[in-house]
Amino acid sequence: MNAREVARAALEAADGEAEAVAQVESSGLARFAGSEVHQPTLIENAVVTLRVVNDGRTGVATTNRLDADGLAELARRAAEAAESAPPDDTFPGLAPPGDPAEVDGYDEETAGLGPDEQARRAAAAIEASGDFPVYGFFTSAVSDLAIASSTGLSVDQRMTDASALVVAADDAGSGYAEQTAWRAGAIDPAAVTREATEKAERTKDAREIEPGVYRAVLEPYAFAELLQYFSYDSLGALGLLEERSYFTGRLGQKVFDEKISIADDALDPHGLPKAFDFEGTPKQRVELVEQGVARAVVWDRTTAAQAKNSARSTGHAPPAESRDWGPLPYALSVAPGDAPSVEDLAQLVGDGLYITRLHYLGVVHPREGVVTGMTRDGTFRIRDGKIAEPLVNLRFTVAVPEFLQEVYGLTSQSALVNSQNFYGERYPYGVMVPAVASARFAITGLGSKPGI
Amino acid sequence: MRELCAAALDAATAAGAEYADARVVLKRDQLVATKNGRVERISDSESEGIGVRVLVGGAWGFACDRRLSLEGAREAALRACTFARAAAGRHSRRLAPLEPRTGTHRTPIERDPFDVPISDKIDLCLRADEALAGADVLVRQTMVRAQREHKLLLTSEGTEVEQELIESGGGIDCAAARDGVFQTRSYPSAHVGSSCQSGWEYVEGLDLVSEGPRVAEQAAALVRADECPTALTTVVLDGDQVALQVHESVGHPIELDRVYGTEASYAGTSFLKPDDLGSLRYGSELMNITADPTTRGGLGSFGFDDEGVPAAPVPVVEAGLLTGFLTSRETAARIGAGTGGSMRADGWNRMPLVRMSNLHLEPGEGDLDDLLADVDEGVYMETNRSWSIDDKRLNFQFGTQIAWEIKGGRLGRMLRDATYTGITPEFWGGLDAVAGADSWRLYGLTNCGKGQPGQSAHVSHGAAPARFLNVQVGVRR
Repeated sequence: MNAREVARAALEAADGEAEAVAQVESSGLARFAGSEVHQPTLIENAVVTLRVVNDGRTGVATTNRLDADGLAELARRAAEAAESAPPDDTFPGLAPPGDPAEVDGYDEETAGLGPDEQARRAAAAIEASGDFPVYGFFTSAVSDLAIASSTGLSVDQRMTDASALVVAADDAGSGYAEQTAWRAGAIDPAAVTREATEKAERTKDAREIEPGVYRAVLEPYAFAELLQYFSYDSLGALGLLEERSYFTGRLGQKVFDEKISIADDALDPHGLPKAFDFEGTPKQRVELVEQGVARAVVWDRTTAAQAKNSARSTGHAPPAESRDWGPLPYALSVAPGDAPSVEDLAQLVGDGLYITRLHYLGVVHPREGVVTGMTRDGTFRIRDGKIAEPLVNLRFTVAVPEFLQEVYGLTSQSALVNSQNFYGERYPYGVMVPAVASARFAITGLGSKPGI
Repeated sequence: MRELCAAALDAATAAGAEYADARVVLKRDQLVATKNGRVERISDSESEGIGVRVLVGGAWGFACDRRLSLEGAREAALRACTFARAAAGRHSRRLAPLEPRTGTHRTPIERDPFDVPISDKIDLCLRADEALAGADVLVRQTMVRAQREHKLLLTSEGTEVEQELIESGGGIDCAAARDGVFQTRSYPSAHVGSSCQSGWEYVEGLDLVSEGPRVAEQAAALVRADECPTALTTVVLDGDQVALQVHESVGHPIELDRVYGTEASYAGTSFLKPDDLGSLRYGSELMNITADPTTRGGLGSFGFDDEGVPAAPVPVVEAGLLTGFLTSRETAARIGAGTGGSMRADGWNRMPLVRMSNLHLEPGEGDLDDLLADVDEGVYMETNRSWSIDDKRLNFQFGTQIAWEIKGGRLGRMLRDATYTGITPEFWGGLDAVAGADSWRLYGLTNCGKGQPGQSAHVSHGAAPARFLNVQVGVRR
């Protein structure tokens, strides 16, 4: 059964007002460590979530038992939950039928990749490393998402995605690279390995520096993750309504350098395109920050109703397992600048740090946008406008708004950085960012040398 | 279930697998959550399927199928073999010997949490929600949860074990804001409360409603509190934060797969090396850590791990000395010690990984007041708020929801935004007191991430308040 058939079958099993969200996944991930595949995982699954509405009372149940008995039981459990709930006068109702845009994001060749081909592409990443040990994976998947409801809404989208990720590491150094796209043909696993190993070779004999505030260039991998963590509290409507967003009381104000414009754009064919959200509402491009001015956050139907103003869903309802976060930007995109390369950004910085990748971020103060974490797999000093000697991994504690308040430049080329860690059901998403050079990146501690 | 597993094993061995295991898992999760006096979420999720893991020519393969049918089982086995054959590498994997095991295990419970009507759960949450109302409180949240996992494991070596694990949990949170200061407070823990392998009696024992007013008052007080100052000082942590400290700076580094580098591409590696066993000083002589999957109520408790190894406690740090790792049969064979026993998978569609079970800091003596009494100046921190640690598990920075200064052996003014940072062995080397058994309790986490594709594990830590010397607090940017 495809997702549309699953959603319709679940909807038919329900009696009355209801919405069914179906996800069908076929994926393979060949994970390797020390240049050997050690966790090769093939997944075949289909999951449907049924939301039943009974006089403003809602109940939700999920199953992957798709036979008649399984779906009848699903409907029974959802109805039982709804009957138990008190009416919710803020419930906005199920989404009406919409007209989602036609988007790219499905590639027949990628959908057809089987275990042999997935393993072969992982092998290509491994073989390109020579004697340098590599750790990472190649993965590809086809994911089918469909939503049907008693309002007449019926939408579905078939998506493909592929990623190659490599950490090249030995006792003395480590480097990182990854590529993500909805077409596996756009991924070159060997090139990913070459980028990672070249970086790793340059991290040997890493030195320490004094903690303090430095100028810094962040590669797209690092910038994407920093922005993603900032977005959890600050760029969604729930954070705004609950006053943990940095944008609370600041919409319409200049908050960042005028070189910074941030959108959420799931319709961009260069990203991982989506036509609609998990309520079936068509996706919209949302201008979050325009030339440094905070303009908007993203909304779903629930938060728009709670706002009790003119807010409307922008098509950002999350999957059921992420509902606690409220609507989130799943397709963040930072406008590129005009620097031809990261070397040109280093020139703008003059004296500072060059950071490839971040690790294990944590939000310290949501309202202030303060995030801590470590640099990893490629941290360097910038001296005299050149990327210079390697550094040990560094602990940073950065207020993202301060980081973005004085920006020297951004590269003219952006990269799509994968954001999914493949927990739960497959839902490909990522962040499209250029590299960035900033005046403020606070180092608050020193870690170990790069390497395994 | 047994017939399906057997069919998968037959298909795998006929296709050339020298080893195979098959797990059928049926899982059900239920969650009731409220926010600001209204029901935020009632969800009831079930998932079932079969996962088949094979060794072919020394290479692993894993495939799964949601269909609990002979066709689904056999197809999963054959796809796993195909993936293993196609895998790159030299493939010299072997498993520590294990006598075939048969047995059953079930979480002992008094009241099945799925027998409790949803309406009762909603009523409890709404009463607790109401109890959180207070000055400056913007957001009130409550939740209760339950999980049942029924699984059967068969291996080609003759192991056959069946288990039913039941969890219950709950928690309350509130957020207060005033003059641009935003603060949160939770009970009994942040990040979706706390859970145990237990029946509904665990949730009743949490007494969520009675705790509401204290939680709300503290949130309101925090928005008026002074910021935690920067200092190198003595820190006393409550059991909740000690549990997080154990998890991040001991639990993950002692996972032997991380030590061998197999998590390098995601969660990271470890500062430990295999030959550190028996020689590395992890902390002070007061540091005694035990991995114990037999702990009653622990989220990591089982009769057998997902390779069929019987549960048994393992000392990992004794009097400050590293004496054990968490292992699988493969990593145990590689290091030449033990038989594994720490392998768990997140459901039927993920491969087992080396995971913490229940990892405890063994109790010392006295209680929190005794720990405070000996401190002339310091900071007492309670309930984890933020956490970050490097890929080798050395450099960490953690924050707590609330803190108080310690002056002359007593708690003084309340402090907000408390953070502390350190290097793992140095920090544990500063451990100079652990409260006693009367202060020791289990803290259950349900959000431990690892693996690609990602897996979320449920683990518990037994901990009591503990005191650490020479700790950097109040990290500034």
